[in-house]
Amino acid sequence: MSSITNIVDIDSKLSAQTPQEILQYALENHDNIAISFSGAEDVVLIDMASKIRQDIQVFSLDTGRLHSETYRFIEQVRKHYNIHIDVVYPEASRVEKLVKEKGLFSFYDGDHKECCGIRKIAPLRKQLLTVDAWITGQRRDQSPGTRAEVPVIQDDKAFARPNDKLTKFNPLANWTSKQVWDYIRENNVPYNELHDKGFVSIGCEPCTRPTGPGQHEREGRWWWEEATIKECGLHAVNIQK
Amino acid sequence: MISQQITMVKKIFADGSPCKKCGEIEEKMRDAGQLAQLDKIVIANEADPKSEGMQLAARYNVERAPFFIVEREGQEAEIYTVYFKFVKEVLNTKTSEDEEIKEIMNDVDLDFL
Repeated sequence: MSSITNIVDIDSKLSAQTPQEILQYALENHDNIAISFSGAEDVVLIDMASKIRQDIQVFSLDTGRLHSETYRFIEQVRKHYNIHIDVVYPEASRVEKLVKEKGLFSFYDGDHKECCGIRKIAPLRKQLLTVDAWITGQRRDQSPGTRAEVPVIQDDKAFARPNDKLTKFNPLANWTSKQVWDYIRENNVPYNELHDKGFVSIGCEPCTRPTGPGQHEREGRWWWEEATIKECGLHAVNIQK
Repeated sequence: MISQQITMVKKIFADGSPCKKCGEIEEKMRDAGQLAQLDKIVIANEADPKSEGMQLAARYNVERAPFFIVEREGQEAEIYTVYFKFVKEVLNTKTSEDEEIKEIMNDVDLDFL
């Protein structure tokens, strides 16, 4: 499934399927595959996957700055599904260097990327070097500006091992937030108590806040930074196939 | 040794302005003496779907710029949308972890983590 054509063909086929069918495809076609669990509503992936296969691999990034509610929730999920959750941490020396040089809240002074790079991307990268495929809860409706084209399957070039392939599945890509919450309620899936406090998107404690009625969930993240449209995309509307 | 042809595709916005990231990478390659290792640089003009770069993007299903096409005789073309992967795997140049993470940060949305 490594060629461009194959990935596009499979994406086209899987796009018409349910998240459960996409997960089934992912789990049947990859033994060494892991679910990335953020401690938010992507818990539905664990619920769905655990009904397909018992030996699912799950990992969570502990940035060191999560809400205590999120830590409690990760533990609740671990016990509820009787699974091992591989909690992944940033490299202590890099965090120490950042804090020593720039303090504990450097992201409010500049942009959040330096901190996220150390606390999220570096450990995520290390973790993804150990698998052949991964599963995320990314949805198109989470960030319309930059995520309108999230495919259900993609060749993850950024995190792949050198000269190797890494496949990324986004089974919830076509679902809306409402569909996710309908699933959570209909299936009695445990959820992070922060959602009852007005949080839609849940990340690190200093960089996440509740959103008000009518606000997009993205407004609950890094709100002090000016929203910018990513400029590296080649706008598909102009690409004639 | 198999001969290879390397093409860099960089973007121009529909309003005619250049893509900042494409410019930064081109500059970085110039400083590192890597531009000489490219066989061709072509433009993907968002205002012109028939521009060579837009056609290549469509052919290889690429939605990001810049990107690199590595063609080797008798083999399927390889597409690199991540600069550090391209220089490491094709130009055999070392890159630092910090540089690699910085590039990933600029391309990846993090609000699902």
